[in-house]
Amino acid sequence: MTVEPRFDELIHPSTRLSIVALLASADWIDFAFVRDHLKLSDSALSKQFATLEEAGYIAIERTVIKHRRRVQVRLTPSGRQAFDGHVAALQAIVSLSPTADLPVD
Amino acid sequence: MINGPVENEARAALENIERRRQQIVAMINIPWWYWGSVGIGWIALGAITDLHNPWATSGGTLLFGAAHASIAWRVLDGRHGSGQLSVRANLVSRHVPFYVLGGLIALAALTALFATVLTMHHVGHPVTISSVFVAIIVIIGGPLFMAAVRRHAAQTITS
Repeated sequence: MTVEPRFDELIHPSTRLSIVALLASADWIDFAFVRDHLKLSDSALSKQFATLEEAGYIAIERTVIKHRRRVQVRLTPSGRQAFDGHVAALQAIVSLSPTADLPVD
Repeated sequence: MINGPVENEARAALENIERRRQQIVAMINIPWWYWGSVGIGWIALGAITDLHNPWATSGGTLLFGAAHASIAWRVLDGRHGSGQLSVRANLVSRHVPFYVLGGLIALAALTALFATVLTMHHVGHPVTISSVFVAIIVIIGGPLFMAAVRRHAAQTITS
């Protein structure tokens, strides 16, 4: 399936791009995993999640398992579509550049 | 024409995305306790077989098979190794469970073959000894196999 390139200003900032890229490769991820792998504080990550959730790009599920609070995050279909479009836009920018790799005979 | 900072920014963003994908690929695994449980179960089954009681052997085999079936469907796909995430199906070869099950069947044949050789040499407790040998292969070989699966997945997504 061809993805239409669409640069997404909301996803593009480095931290948010990292979060969405992690989520794009998983069905769901624990809050703690994202926090630890991106070396963010709880509050900084919560803020980024709130922005993405408000845009409808992620869904957050809060559960309690064996008296432990657990927060699982997943990309929504529209979030995945936005991410795929953004990746296609980035690839288009790189492929249009004069320094892009030329085919070798 | 696009060049300069815009192009560099796009390249950096794509590299960042690739790095994050690799972090998820690194989580592809089958939990360590699966290999440990299979190894211990294998030795127990071998010891039961050496008792030469067909009822105990049949019961043990059935119990081992049932216990394995109850956990295998949850862990053998390699997508839930950490418990902190579920790796997307398109990043992991869907053949992984078949390779693991095929490997276990081959190891069952190896256990029988090795036990037969030991019996021919009049060694005591041949199935137990053979099972210990195979359990070591399972416990060491399982994680090595999953490391190969991760390497393959990493190469597949970068190519």
